[in-house]
Amino acid sequence: MFSKENKLEKFKDAETIIGASIKVKGNFQGQGNIIIEGALEGSLKTEANLFIGDRAKVVASIESKDAVINGELRGNVKARGYLALGGTAKIFGDIQYTELSVEKGAVINGQLSMITEVERRGDSRKAEAKNEENEK
Amino acid sequence: MHVYIYDEYLNKTKYNRAINRLEIRLTDLGLNGKIIRLGGIKNIKGTIQNEIKLGAKTIIAVGNNQTVNKIIGAIIDTEIYGDFQKKTLLGLVPIGDDNSIAASFGIKNIDDACNILLARRVEKIDLGLVGNYYFLNQASIQSLGTTIEIDDYSLEMTERGEVRIINLLSDQKETIKSNPHDGKLDILIRTRKRDESLITVKNLKISNPQEKLIVDGVVEINTPVQIGIMKDKVSVIVGKDRLFE
Repeated sequence: MFSKENKLEKFKDAETIIGASIKVKGNFQGQGNIIIEGALEGSLKTEANLFIGDRAKVVASIESKDAVINGELRGNVKARGYLALGGTAKIFGDIQYTELSVEKGAVINGQLSMITEVERRGDSRKAEAKNEENEK
Repeated sequence: MHVYIYDEYLNKTKYNRAINRLEIRLTDLGLNGKIIRLGGIKNIKGTIQNEIKLGAKTIIAVGNNQTVNKIIGAIIDTEIYGDFQKKTLLGLVPIGDDNSIAASFGIKNIDDACNILLARRVEKIDLGLVGNYYFLNQASIQSLGTTIEIDDYSLEMTERGEVRIINLLSDQKETIKSNPHDGKLDILIRTRKRDESLITVKNLKISNPQEKLIVDGVVEINTPVQIGIMKDKVSVIVGKDRLFE
């Protein structure tokens, strides 16, 4: 799950890449896969998947479908799908997930809770409605 | 009717051979038409607009990126744009340096250009807009000290390198894909440490108090400035080796 190959396989078609030398401030919203290797302050939301690299420093609440976190995150996480925390991940905030894996060495300082099927359905309906709105 | 717009710099004697070769080839292919030399013309916009009013089916920029941009600047958002969009195509014959737009269209040299004009393969493409200036390829600026504002967030750059706002790719070796039909611009940031960032947007505001924005490699623009995109704004004649689908 945490190998470089896995990362590339899942995120090779990333719509957005924030490199290590970039600092993002504000509310970032995307439709496609997002890779964060740099710094982000504010909030981040995507309908697709999110990868946070081991050098990344994120001070934000984040929401995505699947998420792989290897860097430092200060804020709440909501992964509507699968959440993978790598051995270098440091999370200071509450975590919501549907499926979870945690590698040895990961630091978690917050509450863990599983998203129920009812919540997940509600979220996907909202996402569908939003997509339709965007298409219009 | 074909109308060939020769840029001013082609008056130099070093381009005589290239021009002769072009005119012979066009005659051989039956593509000859009216020639307008921008060298002696003060009202470039008026001249180009007049040719479209007179029914030019193809306007061909003979020169480089700046020639193409002069023609586009004379047409877009003017009263004759409606006529241009319905009836007129834009062609390109590259001569000399600064011909990245021709490279994007798959046009490598004069012979290529003539064959491509004959084949008449047409694509509608987006047009970038920096302030009041239109661009086909890209706008670029030094990354250190540059700030980009997009919708509800901003990007700050902390390393030396280059920021490129891309509509149409001009380098065949480029690893990213940029689509000039999607109504979006790609912001590509590459630093000297080989760090890469990529964001796709519709509008942005860019500023760097120390550096100027360079548009299509030829025009320098002061910042802060707004950059946007206009979807499917120009119909162009392209080669089969063009750098987009």
